[in-house]
Amino acid sequence: MANSLAVQISSHILSTKGILPSQTWLAAFLSTQKPNLPFQSLSQTALFRLLASEITSSVQPTSDNTFPSSIHDVHATNLQLKGPIAVQIVDIEDIGHSKLSQLEALEAAERGEKTKGKEVIRVVPGEEDDTDPDNLGLTGVGGPHKLTLDDANGSRVYAFEFKPINGVSIGMNIGTKLVLRDVRVARGVLMLQPANTTLVGGKVEELHKKWREERKGKLKAAIEAAKENNE
Amino acid sequence: MVSTMVQKVLCVAEKSSVAKAVAGHLSGGRFTTRNTTNKYIKNYDFEYRFSQWNSCQVTMTAVQGHTEELDFTDRFRKWSDCDPFELFDAPVNKTIDKSKQSIADNIQREARGATILFIWTDCDREGEYIGTEVRSFARRGNASIQIRRAQFSNIERTHIIRAANNPKDLDERQALAVAARMELDLRIGAALTRFQSLRLQGRYGLTPDALISYGSCQFPTLGFVVDRYMRVKNFVPETFWYLKLVHTRDDITTTFNWDRSRLFDRMTVVLLFESCLASPGALVKSVTRKPARKYKPLPLTTVELQKQGSRFLGMNSQRVMKAAEALYTSGFISYPRTETDQYDQNIDLKALIVKQKDDTGGWGWGAYAGNLLNGEFEQPRRGKHNDKAHPPIHPVAYAAGSALSDGDQRKVYEFVVRHFLACCSKDALGETTTVSLEYGDEGFHASGLTVIERNYLEVYPWDRWESSQLLPQYREGERFVPTEVTMQDGKTTAPGFLTEPELIALMDANGIGTDATMAEHIDKIQVREYVFSVPKNSRGSAGAAAAGRGSGRGRGRGRGAKATTGSTRGGGNSGGNNVFVPSNLGVALVEAYDLIASDMSLSKPFLRKEMELNMKKICNGELSKEHVIHQSLEQYREVYMKVSQRIETFRQVCSRYIQS
Repeated sequence: MANSLAVQISSHILSTKGILPSQTWLAAFLSTQKPNLPFQSLSQTALFRLLASEITSSVQPTSDNTFPSSIHDVHATNLQLKGPIAVQIVDIEDIGHSKLSQLEALEAAERGEKTKGKEVIRVVPGEEDDTDPDNLGLTGVGGPHKLTLDDANGSRVYAFEFKPINGVSIGMNIGTKLVLRDVRVARGVLMLQPANTTLVGGKVEELHKKWREERKGKLKAAIEAAKENNE
Repeated sequence: MVSTMVQKVLCVAEKSSVAKAVAGHLSGGRFTTRNTTNKYIKNYDFEYRFSQWNSCQVTMTAVQGHTEELDFTDRFRKWSDCDPFELFDAPVNKTIDKSKQSIADNIQREARGATILFIWTDCDREGEYIGTEVRSFARRGNASIQIRRAQFSNIERTHIIRAANNPKDLDERQALAVAARMELDLRIGAALTRFQSLRLQGRYGLTPDALISYGSCQFPTLGFVVDRYMRVKNFVPETFWYLKLVHTRDDITTTFNWDRSRLFDRMTVVLLFESCLASPGALVKSVTRKPARKYKPLPLTTVELQKQGSRFLGMNSQRVMKAAEALYTSGFISYPRTETDQYDQNIDLKALIVKQKDDTGGWGWGAYAGNLLNGEFEQPRRGKHNDKAHPPIHPVAYAAGSALSDGDQRKVYEFVVRHFLACCSKDALGETTTVSLEYGDEGFHASGLTVIERNYLEVYPWDRWESSQLLPQYREGERFVPTEVTMQDGKTTAPGFLTEPELIALMDANGIGTDATMAEHIDKIQVREYVFSVPKNSRGSAGAAAAGRGSGRGRGRGRGAKATTGSTRGGGNSGGNNVFVPSNLGVALVEAYDLIASDMSLSKPFLRKEMELNMKKICNGELSKEHVIHQSLEQYREVYMKVSQRIETFRQVCSRYIQS
């Protein structure tokens, strides 16, 4: 019985989101749920948990929904991935702006300041015009971004936001799940755009927290490295 | 029988030059001059027929800005006699400096035989307050004297006569706002100046009597200079990469810029470059022609005059304002302290243009003004500001170049007139052509501008807008093979040290000072040696270690209370093309306050901005003077306590920057 419920949920999530849950993970999930819950709410909870979990533990890898072994071939300038492939974001970088400008914005935000044109304004958290509630030093227009993605095998690749994708920005949840279809890969780098990328959502709390804690240090390290390069 | 004795009207202006000019206009030049016991002040007697008061005997005299001074009572005046903290609520009183007593006495005496006191101080907040001082002197001589106020914004004859015949009342609220500001500046300035001086004197190479003054506008102004300085010092160049596409057609070589401009990731740019090169050719996606327009300037405000003076005329804001004041007093331009950048519907702009059309003084704008009157005129643009007191700065009378003795005045007059004529002109018109390409999956573009009608640019040489090189013909949908596509790299460059126009813009945007006082604050932080003005191209290093001269209590301005004329220090730093760098002391003070008081830091604009906003609220009647004083004092008291509790940190920061 439980087994067929798992199959039902699994196929529901696959058909609606393009993500195939791992049967082991799903069984473990179902064992913690009360019996006789309606299917609808069970499958919704399952999806929510799946999106909030580490992709390698919750998504069932198959040859179609993961990267091929040739993914890292730096000589392949034009590889096509059919997908759908489920991935999660493990890192994001804004490569349209200098690291120093990002660090300055971040430090100003930590002091509770924001620059609006020439005016320095004090931001009270939660106020209406507080568009940066997490104090990440967001200045409005960002990007394009370079992403680091993991598939269900834990295979890690770079991706470039070739055309702006709604929802991709500094400040987005780390651990967000994406589903990719018909993606071009140039020397191991995925070229993402709205037509081939679906943001399913989610967040992996530990990854997210770690990313936030490390961001400032990483920006500083990159600036230090630039300084040494200049010398 | 009713006595037909002529009544006497006592008129008092804010400065002697204005008193003399107004007396001249009202009397038609026929006045008699009496000396007073103050050598700078004269009394001018004449008869004038006011429409509201009929024929009157008029005495026109003046004060010299503020006559009274606000200060602590004797027990709190000596530094050694009290803890600076007590100054937040020590009693204060108004006193008159010995040199100014004769001015108050003159008004008191002249008021005795007068029925009406007609106040002619400048029409701004400060002027309303000075008007209340004048009123109190007059009432000492004549308790029942009626009080009226003249409202005027320039010293041109017809305008003055209209003001004389339309008396108004003093604006008590504006005067209260000034009173609040004076009390706050005194208390906060004195408390913090004494505090920081006493704690730092005799250390780090500072003299035992070093005065380290604090002012609630000075410090945020200093803060902007230090902030930029630190950004320049901490700057690290970073490498970026970009693609460039060049194509030669019809002997014209055109560079097409990458739509992405630049990216800070080499790998990504290499991949995009490769995908371009794999593509057979570039496709012309669109060729668009759009009308282009260079907007004529907005009507002139004080802040803009100061910024442009520095940028275009090579004069610092203090020098610009001094020249503008003189032009106003001579009746050539309207009141130069205004926030308004829109003209009133009923001002007769054409009448003002007429005065410039027979330019015989060699300026060269006569024919242009004539053309404006022959159909080229267009209404000025309307900005968003209106201080409801003064129009934008504009010429009110024609002055031949030879009528202006001073080179600065000539430059400022020329700028004001040309700016005004530009405001009454048409925008410059042109056309831009933009060719957009797709090469690989990357976009590139090139634009060309053709100027069609120069319009206002003819009279306004400071704006540049030139036709660019023509683009060759491209057709939408055509393909071509680029002559050259390359991947290039570059490095980010450090911002420059702060220039005066930038500093004024920052002060303006952050509510530090008013249009009338910004120049003084900028001057003050240089006098205090917190910052230096150095030529743009010198790599300024934090200069002198010690600053300990000067006297005063480090408070905000009080017009006329002290010598306020532009002090031109050292060679070349009164020019407009300099940049500001902080001294070590300046950096130390800002860093120390930032570290200890963080968001309440005295070098940040927030506290002062709030105070300025509260002044406006007093003027609107939203807040009382007492409420505003109380609220601001509480905030500054809190900062004071924070800093005094962490005085060791304060000293550590100072010792880091100012080693003797």
